[in-house]
Amino acid sequence: MLNQPLRRFHWKALVQPWQNLDGVLLGLVIVLTFIGGLAIRSVELTETRADWVQHWLTGGVGVLIALAIARWRYEALSRAYWLIYALTNLALLVVIFAGTTANGAQSWLTLGNFNVQPSEFAKVGLIITLAGVLQERSANTVLAVIKALVITAIPWVLIMLQPDLGTGLVFGAITLGMLYWGNANPGWILLLLSPIVAAILFGVYLPSWFIWVALMTYIGWRTLPWKWLGAFVAGVVNLISGGLGNFAWNLLQDYQKDRLILFLDPDKDPLGGGYHLIQSRIAIGAGGLWGRGIHQGTQTQLNFIPEQHTDFIFSAVGEETGFVGSLVVLGIIWLICFRLVIIAQNSKDNFGSLLAAGVLSMIVFQVLVNVGMTIGLAPITGIPLPWLSYGRSALLTNFIAIGLVESVYNFRHRLKF
Amino acid sequence: MVWIVLMLGLLGLLANLLRLQVFYGEELQARAQDQQTLWMREMVPRRPIIDRNGNMIAVDRPAYTLYAHPLMFRESSEAIAEALAPVIDRPAQNLVQLFRSGESGLKVIDRLPEAVANSVSGLRKDGLELVQGQERLYPQQDLYGEIVGFVNSDRLGQAGLEMSYEEQLQRPMREVELRRTGLGAVLPESTPEAFPTADELRLSLTVDSRLQRSVQQALRDTIETYGAQRGTVIVMDVKTGEIRSLVTEPTFNPNQFYRESPERYRNWAVSDLYEPGSTFKSVNLAIALESGNIQSGASVVDDGQIFIGEWTIQNSDYDYAGARGSQTLMDVLRLSSNVGMVRVMQHLSADEYYTWLETIGLGSLTGIDLPSEIEGILKPREDFVADPVEAAVAAFGQGISLTPIQMLQLQSSLANGGMLVTPHVVTGMVDAENQLQWSPDRSAPRRVFSPQTAQSVLQMMEAVVDDGTGEAAQIPGYRVAGKTGTAQKASAQGGYVDGARIVSFVSLFPSDNPQYSILAVIDEPQGGDAYGGTVAAPLVKTVIESIITTLGVPPSRPEELAGDRWNVQSAEEPVYENEGWDDWE
Repeated sequence: MLNQPLRRFHWKALVQPWQNLDGVLLGLVIVLTFIGGLAIRSVELTETRADWVQHWLTGGVGVLIALAIARWRYEALSRAYWLIYALTNLALLVVIFAGTTANGAQSWLTLGNFNVQPSEFAKVGLIITLAGVLQERSANTVLAVIKALVITAIPWVLIMLQPDLGTGLVFGAITLGMLYWGNANPGWILLLLSPIVAAILFGVYLPSWFIWVALMTYIGWRTLPWKWLGAFVAGVVNLISGGLGNFAWNLLQDYQKDRLILFLDPDKDPLGGGYHLIQSRIAIGAGGLWGRGIHQGTQTQLNFIPEQHTDFIFSAVGEETGFVGSLVVLGIIWLICFRLVIIAQNSKDNFGSLLAAGVLSMIVFQVLVNVGMTIGLAPITGIPLPWLSYGRSALLTNFIAIGLVESVYNFRHRLKF
Repeated sequence: MVWIVLMLGLLGLLANLLRLQVFYGEELQARAQDQQTLWMREMVPRRPIIDRNGNMIAVDRPAYTLYAHPLMFRESSEAIAEALAPVIDRPAQNLVQLFRSGESGLKVIDRLPEAVANSVSGLRKDGLELVQGQERLYPQQDLYGEIVGFVNSDRLGQAGLEMSYEEQLQRPMREVELRRTGLGAVLPESTPEAFPTADELRLSLTVDSRLQRSVQQALRDTIETYGAQRGTVIVMDVKTGEIRSLVTEPTFNPNQFYRESPERYRNWAVSDLYEPGSTFKSVNLAIALESGNIQSGASVVDDGQIFIGEWTIQNSDYDYAGARGSQTLMDVLRLSSNVGMVRVMQHLSADEYYTWLETIGLGSLTGIDLPSEIEGILKPREDFVADPVEAAVAAFGQGISLTPIQMLQLQSSLANGGMLVTPHVVTGMVDAENQLQWSPDRSAPRRVFSPQTAQSVLQMMEAVVDDGTGEAAQIPGYRVAGKTGTAQKASAQGGYVDGARIVSFVSLFPSDNPQYSILAVIDEPQGGDAYGGTVAAPLVKTVIESIITTLGVPPSRPEELAGDRWNVQSAEEPVYENEGWDDWE
C-alpha cells in the first residue's frame, strides 16, 4: 500500500523536466521520421541495403538528443554562442583538409564507422550564433546587418569551398530569415537578394533588368540611412551584378550549371542532366490521386530515380501514396512550421525567439526547394527533405534543432523566484 | 509576413502536385509504364545454328554498346579517356576528341563483350553508359559465309539461312513484354516461366565443319594455282539430298559482313547460272537410255566433226585425234566425244528431248533451302525444236544453263537409282538432347530414271575416271565415277566470252555403292592446260580424300591399299540409313 504513492511520485519526477514540452511538435517530427523510414524501406526493397533501419535508429537517437536538449536551459547558449561558432568553423576547416570526397564534394569526415557531414551541423551552429549576435543588438541598423553577414560569411565560404551549393543556399535562407525576425528592414533583405535577381534578369530580359535597377535604387533611397549614398550604392551594385552574373556563372562547376538550367527544360537532355528531373516528375505524377500503394510504385521499385532514398525521397512518397499522401506529408510539415512560428512568437526572450525563427527558416527553405525540385519547380541543389530524406547527419541536425526549439518552449515561462 | 510566406509556399507546392498527380497523372503513368517496358526482341538471343556434329556456326552472346554523356562527367574528359582507353583498347586521344564532339549520347564503341563491359562499369565513372544487347557471333568465321549469311543491326537475317530461316531462328517469346529497372536490368519475376529453359532449340545443319574446312582449303589452293575468278565445290549425300559441304570462293566473313561488297553475299552455287558443258553428257546419256530409243550396249559413229546447218561441231581433240569411228556409249562418255553425243541424242526427236529436259527439272528450282535460288534457262520449246543445232549443242551441255546445285542434283539421280532429291542444308530444329523437334517440309524424291538406266550411266562414268578424261580423280582402293566438263563461258550479253572457260568435274562416290556426289566448278582458270580434267578433277580427288577421312568411307578394293594409309574408322557409320529410302522403290 505504501508503494502506490511512492511510484506515482517517481513517475512524475521522471517527466518533470519536460512538463512544458510542445508534445505536438515532437510528435509530428517523430511521425515524419517514421514515414521517412517507410519510404526509404520501399525505395530499397529490391536492394540488399537496409538504410531505413538506420534512419529509424538515428531518429531514435535524435529524439533522445532532442529530449536531452529540451530539459536543458537554452539560455546557457546565449553566452556560449562564440564557442559554438568557433567549433562550427573548426569542423568545416577540418573537412577541407581531411574530408572524404563523394559526388564531387568534399563534405564528409570519417569518424570510425561513421561518415559525418559537418556542414549539416553547421546549420544549427549558424542559427545559435546569429541568435546570439542578434539578441544583443537587433538588426535594425545597417551595421548590425553587416556584422551578421560577416559572421555568416566565414562558415559560408568554407562550405562553398567543399563545394556544397545546397547547404550554402540554406545558410543564406537562415541568415535572411533571422535578419527579418531580428527586425531588419524588409527592404534591406530585398536589397541583399537584389544582385542575384539583377544577374538573372540581365541574362533573361534586359529591359526588366533596367526596371529592377531603378526599383532597387528607389528602395535603397527609401530604406537605407544617408539616402543618396544608399540609393547610389544599391543602384551601382545592381548594375554591376548584371555584368558580374556572367562572370559568376563561369565560376560554377559544370554539373551545377546543368542543374541550374535544366530544371526549366529537362527534356533538353533526357538521358543526361535532365534525367533525374524527368524521372522524378514521372514518378510523382504516376502516383495520381491515391497513389500506387506502398511498395507498388513502379518507378520507385525499379530504381528509375538515382539517389531516391536521400534527396529524392519525396518522389517515392508521391508515387506510392499519391496526391493524398503528399498532402498529408506537406500538412504535417506545415503544422511543424506552424508550431515553430507559435514558439518563436511566445518565447520569453529574443534569443529563444530567434532560435525558433532560424530553425523555421531552415525547415521552410529546405522543404520548398526539395519538394520543388522533385516536382520540377526548382533546380537540383542537393538539399535533403527534413526528417524524410536518408542522411544521418541531416537527421540528427534536425532533431538537435527541434531540441533547441523545445527547450525554448519548455522554458518559455520566466523563472519566478 | 511569415504566414504569407508559409501559405504561399504550401499552396505553390500543392498546386503543382495537383497539376502533376491529378491532371497529368494518367499521362505520366503511361510514360512510366512505357519506359519500364521492354520488348524481348533486343534481349532474347536468336537461336544458334550448329553443324551436324553440334559445332556452333552462329550463336548469340551478350554484347554491350558504350555511350558517353560528357554532360554528366564529374572529371575532365582527359581523365575519363585516360581511364577508359586501356579497357576498351582505343587511343585516349581519340576518346577525348569524341567527348568534345557532343554533350550526350555519344556512341563510343559497340559489340563489347561482357568481360570488357564489366571492366568499364568497374571504372565507376559518371557519364558512361552501357546498353546491353545481343550480338550474333560466327565462330567459324568465313567458313560458312554464303550458307549462314548474317544479321543486320536490327537483328534480322539479311542473307543465307539467317534470312531463309528467320522465322525459326527467332524465338517466339520476342513479343513478350518485360519489365526493366532504371539501370536496364530485366526483372526476374516478369520473365515468362517458359524462358529460357524450355527453348533450347537450335537449327541443325547437314554440313560437316571438318569437311567444309578442308574443302575450302582445297578450293582456295586450286583457285590460287590457276588464277581463277571464283569457284565452288558442293558435296551432297545422294540419297537424302543433304549437303555435306558447300563452299564458294571468294567468300565473306559474316562477323564483318560490312567489309565486303554486297556482291559477295550471294551464294552463286544457287544464284548464278553456268553452261555445264560435258558434265551434262552423263545426264543426256541417261535421258537417251531412259527414253528407250537407244540401248546401253549400242554404238554410234564418231566422225570427229559434224555439220548441223551452218554450224560445225567438233570434238575437242579433233585437231589431232580426227575421226574415231564406231564408238560404244561408254567410249563416248569416257573420251567426252561431242560428236558422239550429238549422234546419241539424235535418236530422240528434238521435241522428245525437250520434254525430257523439262522432266528432269531444267528451268525449275531444285527447292534448296538457301535463299535466292534461281531456275535454269531452257529456251522456248518452239526455238529448241525449230533449229536442230539447239538439240545438238545441248547434247554436250552448251546452250542450256543451270545452277551448280541443280547440276549436282541431276548427277545425284544417277547415283541413287534415278531419284531427284531435294538438296538441303537444314536438318531441322533440335532440342538440347539433340532430338529433332521440327523439320522443314520438302518435296519428296521424284523418280526421273529407272535404276537400270542410272546404273548403266554410273558404270560409264566410272570408266571416265578409270580410263578417260577423269583419270586425275583416281584414288587407290576406291571406285570413283565422274565426268569432266570444259565449257565456254556464256557472257551476260549473250554469246560467249572469248577464251573464257568454266571447267568442272562431277563425281559420284564410291561408285560401287554411291553415297556422295561432288561437284567442283572453277570459273575462268588461266593457262593453256586448264580443263575440267586437269583443274577440277584433281580438286575433286582432294575433296573425296577428305570425305573418306572425315565422313568415313570404307575402301571398295582394300587390297589396293598399301599398308594402313586409308585406315578408316568403320565405327563412323553414315547417318542417313533408310531415311525415306524404302518408300522409293
